[in-house]
Amino acid sequence: MSIDEKFTSIRKGLLEFLVLKIISANQVYAADILKELNATEFVTQEGTLYPLLSKMRREQLVDYEWKESEAGPPRKYYELTAKGREQLRETTEYWQKISGTVRSLGQK
Amino acid sequence: MNKVITINLNGVAYQLEEGGYEALREYLDNAARRLAGNPDRDEIIADIEQAIADKFRALLGAHKTVVITKEVAVVITEMGPVEDATKEGPAAESANATAGAGPAAPEAGETKDVRRLYRIYDGAMISGVCNGLGAYFGIDPTIIRIAFVLLTLAWGTGALVYFLLVLLIPSAKTPAEKSAATGVAATAQEFIRRAKAGYYEGFRTFHDKQAHREWRRRFKQEMRGWTQGLQRDVRENAHHWMPGWQQNPPPQPPPFGAVIAWPFLSLLKLVLFVALLFAVLSLVGDGHIFGIGLPLGIPLWVGVVFLIVAFHVFAWPLKMARRACRYPGYYGYRPPLAGLWDSLVWLACMVGLVWLADHYSPRFHEWLMDLPPMVHQFMDSVREWWARR
Repeated sequence: MSIDEKFTSIRKGLLEFLVLKIISANQVYAADILKELNATEFVTQEGTLYPLLSKMRREQLVDYEWKESEAGPPRKYYELTAKGREQLRETTEYWQKISGTVRSLGQK
Repeated sequence: MNKVITINLNGVAYQLEEGGYEALREYLDNAARRLAGNPDRDEIIADIEQAIADKFRALLGAHKTVVITKEVAVVITEMGPVEDATKEGPAAESANATAGAGPAAPEAGETKDVRRLYRIYDGAMISGVCNGLGAYFGIDPTIIRIAFVLLTLAWGTGALVYFLLVLLIPSAKTPAEKSAATGVAATAQEFIRRAKAGYYEGFRTFHDKQAHREWRRRFKQEMRGWTQGLQRDVRENAHHWMPGWQQNPPPQPPPFGAVIAWPFLSLLKLVLFVALLFAVLSLVGDGHIFGIGLPLGIPLWVGVVFLIVAFHVFAWPLKMARRACRYPGYYGYRPPLAGLWDSLVWLACMVGLVWLADHYSPRFHEWLMDLPPMVHQFMDSVREWWARR
């Protein structure tokens, strides 16, 4: 198994965290989220992202509004809710804690 | 040269080659199946269709109006398989989707188990207050209904509290509220469970209100029949586990003669009360109670208070007797003619009183004799006034 395949489940688990971070920067369309992610190691597809966004909306972490886009039907414009910001903060703290652990384990 | 099929993606028409159409159809059917049970299924599908439409639009132009099969295949590969986020399906990228690879988080989409107090109207008897309270506290609503009935016996407090609760507690209408009322998370698993119980089916397939109401009525009847059967069992076996628990209604008939005596008891109480009034008036006006002077040194108001106390002392046995007779009527187990008898007794008393007054008081007698002509005069004046209008 290549290193990429080994980290598949980790990337999958981190996806929600990263989506929260992307949306927290500014309001985005779903297509923009995909564009940003596909420029990194976290290549994602629509089939994964849309159900994930819908789950986050049901958990009230994100919310969307319909915005008219040029040359096309209206699109969903996502933004973080207060609960989402809270969740992002918690996850960031937790992420820092475990990455600290990862760094320090095995050091003499 | 291949056949072209025109499809509709979110209101815009696209032309695909036949092969491409088949591939797309299969992809979307797959997606719908993977998302079955997901409450946002339709919305997710709409989003996916929109993304596909955007990709198609990028491929089309003035000189190219059809999406060929190869391009459709590319678009589908770009989209990737639809994974329901609430169920952790095997990752598309990992070839070996063993149990160890996927994180075991089946309830990832579950909202916190928050329970809120609502009135639950489905399967309720009156307004769903007892149902809602039962769901919130986890007690059988029947027990709460019993508690309300018992409270109502205490001078109607129960009915008042119930009415207030009907006004104060909101009714659970949307499915989200309903699941919050019972404290069950609105996950796909829960919906699936309810669908299996046939509940969801009924609500989803009825698009017109008439059939919906009809189904709800039958559902409620079923539930009520079941709870009534349970209530009957409880009543019949109550003495086993709770001695002295009064059953409702009491199986034994009221004490003998109670019904007949009841109006007389009320009359007696009224007479006593009138006597009290007279006594107080005479005390205040003349300084003595019907000729019995007050002991020296006791102020007036003490005398009044004493009279009131005496009245209550004498009236209390009457009150108790009335209550003993009243209980059967209160539960609804009243002999059908009791009301009639009551009215007859009162009527007779009125007539008797009037006759007595007529017989013993000349003034009253005169006034009574004058009554018919007075009434006639009154009627005439009314008629005149009416004619003049």
